Amino acid sequence: MNVFMLYLVLLKASITSFSGLAAIPIIREALVIQAHVLSDAQLNEAVVISRSTPGPVAIYLVSIGYFVSGVGGAIAGWLAMITPALLVIPPIHFAGKKAENPKVKEVIKSIMIASAAMLFLDAIPLAQNAIVDVLTACIALGSFILLIFDLIEVHWLMLAGVFLTLGQYYFLYSTALASS
Amino acid sequence: MPPSLRNITYVFTKLGNLTFGGGNATIAVLHQEIIVRLKWISEDEFSLSFAISRLTPGSNFFAFCVAVGWILKRTFGALLALIASSVPCSLVVMLVTMVFSLVQSNPVVQAALHGAIAAAVSITFKTAWILVRPHLKYSKHSRYKTLFLFALSMVLHGLLKFTPIEVIGICATLGLFYIESVA
Repeated sequence: MNVFMLYLVLLKASITSFSGLAAIPIIREALVIQAHVLSDAQLNEAVVISRSTPGPVAIYLVSIGYFVSGVGGAIAGWLAMITPALLVIPPIHFAGKKAENPKVKEVIKSIMIASAAMLFLDAIPLAQNAIVDVLTACIALGSFILLIFDLIEVHWLMLAGVFLTLGQYYFLYSTALASS
Repeated sequence: MPPSLRNITYVFTKLGNLTFGGGNATIAVLHQEIIVRLKWISEDEFSLSFAISRLTPGSNFFAFCVAVGWILKRTFGALLALIASSVPCSLVVMLVTMVFSLVQSNPVVQAALHGAIAAAVSITFKTAWILVRPHLKYSKHSRYKTLFLFALSMVLHGLLKFTPIEVIGICATLGLFYIESVA
């Protein structure tokens, strides 16, 4: 599959979805089932990579592009990922002028509340996946409390989380070595 | 005074590419930086950008960056915010994809990721709180309405499996009817 065709396939998937992973069915149909240029395993790997690296979830399109066509494919994935974002400009320009209108304000407020509720729901399985033992539960809970009261920057929390779980890993590793 | 293009590039590069936990976690970090610390945009402009980015196809996060960039410096601001927030993390993902199969089973890497992801989860919950908190501060009537829409969205999305765009559409319509009934 040439890079331009790959861009069109990924753009179609990206532009017809409203959240990161919602594009997966379209990508799977086009690249795994029809074109046979991607495997299910690679599709899963792309999702895992996007969850394990900084940036939004939609960045798995770059990974998929790379799996299909190397560096050129990764660029096609990047372009497909960012192109739909430009569609926000006309409504933000229009709504920006009407932002003080009570109707616009109320609609925006309702969207914010609905988004918060769905985000809360989506965070539950993420938490179930992330909390694997007592330490990670403490990290998650402690981070939440510190963040709610704005007591620490996010980057320090992430770094502390990394050091704590690495410390636990080396402690358990050395204990296992000593006992054997 | 609006920020320079250089400052916009710097902030979106720094925060858009260094935060784990997906776009919503990054939006929470951007909220802290560009509203609380730098005061580049108002809370209303943040809400407007967030709401419209939720209605835009594709990645909500990149749409949010474009919206904020547009508010700050129109076309150049939007393009720079988009490029700054997407290029470095895309390069990282491409490199990680190249080496992922080699390190994915490495226990040290796994251990480090567990800590980072556990912290990232709390950021997602905080983002939900940031979005809903301002609407709980108004009148008692507004609080009830906020709680009603929050519960309705959870039922529609969590139990009845409506898609996010359907839930947003329903709540936006209810919000419009609410203001008309009050008027």
